[in-house]
Amino acid sequence: MSDWMIELVDVTKRYGNIVANDHVTLRIRRGELMTLLGPSGCGKTTALRCITGQNIPDEGRVFIDGKDVTDVPTHRRELGMVFQNFALFPHMTVFENVEFPLMIRRMDKAERAGLVRDALKLVRLEGYEKHYPRQLSGGQQQRVGLARALVYRPKVLLLDEPLSNLDAKLREEMRFEIKDLQRRLGITAVYVTHDQEEALALSDRVAVMNKGCVQQVGTPAEIYDHPATKFVADFIGLSDFIPAKVLAVESERVILDVQGERIAVPPVASVHAGMDVLLFIRPNDVRLRAAEGQKLPNEIAGVIAKSTYLGDKFDYRVDVRGVEVRVQTHGAERFDNGQAVYLHLPYERCRVILESLVCPVR
Amino acid sequence: MKTLRQYLRALLNAKRLLAYTFLLCFFLWVTTPFLMILLKSLGRNWFGKLWLPPEFTLDWYKWAVTVTNIPEVLRNTLIIAGIAVGISTLIAIPTGWALGRRKIPGKEVIMSTILLPRMIPPIAYALGVAQIFYRLHLIDTHLGVAIAHVAICAPYAILVLASTFEGLDERVLEAASVCGANNLRTFFHVTLPLVMPGILSSIIFTFTTSYNEFTLTLMTYGPKTITLPVRTYLAVGEGYWEVTSALSMILIIPSLFVLFMIQRQVQPEKLVGGFKGV
Repeated sequence: MSDWMIELVDVTKRYGNIVANDHVTLRIRRGELMTLLGPSGCGKTTALRCITGQNIPDEGRVFIDGKDVTDVPTHRRELGMVFQNFALFPHMTVFENVEFPLMIRRMDKAERAGLVRDALKLVRLEGYEKHYPRQLSGGQQQRVGLARALVYRPKVLLLDEPLSNLDAKLREEMRFEIKDLQRRLGITAVYVTHDQEEALALSDRVAVMNKGCVQQVGTPAEIYDHPATKFVADFIGLSDFIPAKVLAVESERVILDVQGERIAVPPVASVHAGMDVLLFIRPNDVRLRAAEGQKLPNEIAGVIAKSTYLGDKFDYRVDVRGVEVRVQTHGAERFDNGQAVYLHLPYERCRVILESLVCPVR
Repeated sequence: MKTLRQYLRALLNAKRLLAYTFLLCFFLWVTTPFLMILLKSLGRNWFGKLWLPPEFTLDWYKWAVTVTNIPEVLRNTLIIAGIAVGISTLIAIPTGWALGRRKIPGKEVIMSTILLPRMIPPIAYALGVAQIFYRLHLIDTHLGVAIAHVAICAPYAILVLASTFEGLDERVLEAASVCGANNLRTFFHVTLPLVMPGILSSIIFTFTTSYNEFTLTLMTYGPKTITLPVRTYLAVGEGYWEVTSALSMILIIPSLFVLFMIQRQVQPEKLVGGFKGV
């Protein structure tokens, strides 16, 4: 038995001249929840539709549970899917909606009733059997959708932006409910979203996509702390990109020239002296202090250009010789506009990013 | 002057009374002709000088049935309506599907072309139809009259079905296939139940249109294909008001029945908009 429940191997899908999926390779483990994260038009829905079979890839193969399903039609792939607009059958009651996959599989009537009851219990919708979808709230409708997807215990649960039609509070609630359900059932799940917070909160692993290719695959922490490309860094959380030149590559560190000052950063592969790179750091990792006395290692000088009070923190725009660096501090110390400051860029929080790297995961 | 003002103010204060007065007037305006026909068809020796007929009788209905040969006329009407509904629905299902679900250049132009037979005066259109049908020997055949009716029935059917199919949510059909249903089962379990109310309302609309159609029938009928509206019109010419009234009542009954059905079962306001609200 292979470790992978779902494999997209080198999948390319074109719509006319638009390449919606450009040699996408994705492997999803048994029992894990993987999120496909990216802005609209990044190809995440196309990739999902290749898994469901609603799209046939122009190139590449799709495997589910080790079997090549590239040419298997949707209805024989044994999937469960939750839709953004719920996509419940409006002419059927809640019970009939959930029963539908079982009815299609010609299951025994008594057995069906038991499974439907179990599924409705799972999503806490007992007592709504006779309601029609239009009589339910958005959250309840999505629970019906979830029950319908899970009722026949499919190998794979696919969720296509299931929460984006719900309001913010409900969204957060449902997020944990889905995660909890997926854990308890141990089902493999693919979750498509454009909401980075949702992706970080839910996923075992995240695949960040942009312009039809996979930018990076990793745990939420890896994605957040070690973004592989400028896009990933920018899409998830706040980020500073400071243009820099590689001065020297040593075994323990890389020395960068950042606006004329030497900054040491952790080593990276595939850089060499003289290369133009970006120094990436999160605004809340930068330390600020008033410009007094000697500059310490990894400090650069700047001037506060703009400061904003955000309640629990201060947001500063610091001018470092023409480059704007954003800094967020939680400390009590306040800096005024025009004040000279030293920015400390902690060695372990700095990353080197190559701007030319656009499609690293092939 | 003062009393008039007081009267007007009292009237305005009694808004409810005013509203009911208007409603009653409207009700009488709509129903009185029907009431007149009903009384005329049931009364004997009633020449309009009394409020109600002096005697009531069902004789005129017997006359209507025997003298004007109602069974055959009704048969003609139903056969013609049946053929017209059949042809219209067969035309409207693919056309409505294309107009409702496909991106077609010039959709508006096609739509208004389809509606054209309903826009121009029926008598002008009927004249043209009659001339062609004489050449084709379609005059005085059930099929011929029905084909003439299709020209005004099909636009209704196409309009209703296009909006029904447009309201059909593609993603619901996708959900069915993810749930394991093949195309055939998706069609029978999901697509058909969702569009059925639309098809039914299209059938009802086309049926009543054909059943009530007068002008087009008048130009294409013959002795073998007299329909109820035409027979009623001919009875007027024959001069028996009581019999004509009885005929009218018979003509009205199916329409009332259909209206009742629409109100109770199908709820047209839901149908015409398709399923967008769901």
